[in-house]
Amino acid sequence: MTNQACPTDEADAGHWASGRFVLRPAELSDLDALERMAADSAIGISSLQPDRQRLRQRLAHAVKSFASDDAASGEESYVFVLEDRARAGAVVGTSGIEASAGFHDRFYSYRNEFVVQVSPSLGARNRIHTLHLGHDLTGVSLLSGFHIDPAYADGPAPQLLSRGRLLFIAQHPERFADRIASENPGLADDTGRCPFWDAVGRRFFNMDYPSAEAAALGPGRSLIAELLPQSPIYVPLLPDEAQWALGQLHPVAELPFAILQDEGFEADTYLNIFDGGPTATASLALLRSVAGRRPYRWPLPPELATATAPMRLAANTQRQGFRATLARPGPALAPLLHLAPGDGVVLSCPCPEPI
Amino acid sequence: MSAPSFLLTGTLRPVTPADLGALAAWLPAQADAQLPTDPEAEHWLLLEGRPHPDAAAQALACLRLRPAIGLRTPRHWYHRGCVVQAAPSLGLFHQLHTLLLGNDLTGAAELADIAWDRRLPEPAQAQTLRQLLRASLDALSTLPGATGAVPGSRHIRLMVELPGVRDSAGRSPFWQGLGRHFYPADLPAGASPSRAHWRSQVATLLPRQPVHVCFLPPEAQAAIGQPDPSWLKLAQVLCELGLHPGQHVCIDDAGPVHEGWLHFSPTPGA
Repeated sequence: MTNQACPTDEADAGHWASGRFVLRPAELSDLDALERMAADSAIGISSLQPDRQRLRQRLAHAVKSFASDDAASGEESYVFVLEDRARAGAVVGTSGIEASAGFHDRFYSYRNEFVVQVSPSLGARNRIHTLHLGHDLTGVSLLSGFHIDPAYADGPAPQLLSRGRLLFIAQHPERFADRIASENPGLADDTGRCPFWDAVGRRFFNMDYPSAEAAALGPGRSLIAELLPQSPIYVPLLPDEAQWALGQLHPVAELPFAILQDEGFEADTYLNIFDGGPTATASLALLRSVAGRRPYRWPLPPELATATAPMRLAANTQRQGFRATLARPGPALAPLLHLAPGDGVVLSCPCPEPI
Repeated sequence: MSAPSFLLTGTLRPVTPADLGALAAWLPAQADAQLPTDPEAEHWLLLEGRPHPDAAAQALACLRLRPAIGLRTPRHWYHRGCVVQAAPSLGLFHQLHTLLLGNDLTGAAELADIAWDRRLPEPAQAQTLRQLLRASLDALSTLPGATGAVPGSRHIRLMVELPGVRDSAGRSPFWQGLGRHFYPADLPAGASPSRAHWRSQVATLLPRQPVHVCFLPPEAQAAIGQPDPSWLKLAQVLCELGLHPGQHVCIDDAGPVHEGWLHFSPTPGA
């Protein structure tokens, strides 16, 4: 993430132009764009697999989740896409939310624990790191499937893509849990070699990491988790390479992870069971963009819509018709967020500080 | 010249200060040469006999007999366990071996610090060990022991630790692969007198949850339950007498622990 302050000069704004990007629910017509983005994903536990059939199913499920008026069961998953209005609404990013992690079974993670053992007579003291397999995060809402076209990585687009969905969650809390988590891919190289998997999972499965990743989608994941050692893993017994990998991010994850950290997610407690990547967790209400929400009715009070007002995260309060953008508060918000007089509109933090 | 068959008629008796000089001729350098301080906790016994008909009676072998261990200072061992995890639908079946730190053999009787004159001819060494051990088992029969199922019967649990594998530099591959991560120093060499004390001190630093053996380096895994080669003779004799390697290994070098039960039926007319 570059250290780039929000420019106030519109002429030079480029990616930072007010209202250039809009976040909206994905539709079936976005399938081609999603397939293109999925093909660009690096190897890693990713909910965006380049499998057209699966993507179509995922989109269909998401459309149904947005549309459903019924009380949420937890089975829902939501997919958003980011449009670049300067390129006729081309889809340049996607992100998602799983309403309830491990809904059909359990959601497994490793939890970091530390035990201090002493021998006063030998004058020795040891702080021993262990990994405990557990289901603590079953039922939390899971942020997933973040992917942005690399050409847009340096601007505000990733900010909207990630944070905009938090506004959706905050607007419809009855559909989500109080606690939010996000798995992030851990260290693996281009050939699919993953030091943590090689040191741990592979000993019990004899499968290389890409095969395990494929088997891990859907019901296979719980089955695999049940075959992992149920008693704690002593980290000092792992090869050095695997120890360094604990809680380390794959390079593709650095950008979305930095945004989550800025929001207030912590990532010291839980690790992904396959690649040892950090699983970030947070209480929804304490997140920066959520705590900074202020609701209004359209049109906005005049004092907010000044010419020098900073850009802010803004969203409407609809479900199926959800729209979010990064823009200066003002009349231009109405067509961006499909606002009619009297409609709810939410403004959150000013344009995020450079990280 | 054919090896004469000879009879060693040995007698088992406690070590006295006068014996120490003779014992020093074949006791290992780092062996404990202290007379027992607590007669209830430990008996140091030696087998005296004639290695051949023309020889004078001499000390041939010795051991320490402890009627019930670990009741004052805890003794620790790793218990070898197995966990099976299976998923038929994925075609997976795994037998996972574990080591769990514990004090399972607390209260058992122990034959410890077994030493013998290795200068004797090979067949004589095995004979010596058999005599030593049989006589020691007889000595055990005089101990109170635990009450058995049949009224008047007793049984005693017996264990014998053997040293584990060491490399040419005297290091234990098992300790290097496991223990050393929890206490970063090499093992004391061989059978030093302070070994038991040291083990009880280091046990508080060792992992208390089951350790999966598959996480250990291959040399460490191979060493589990393996006696050092120079002790194989003793291991064979122990097996002949019904003391087989059991489910426990030493916490420092993973030497095998031979275990067995002695059953004493009620004495007729008692």
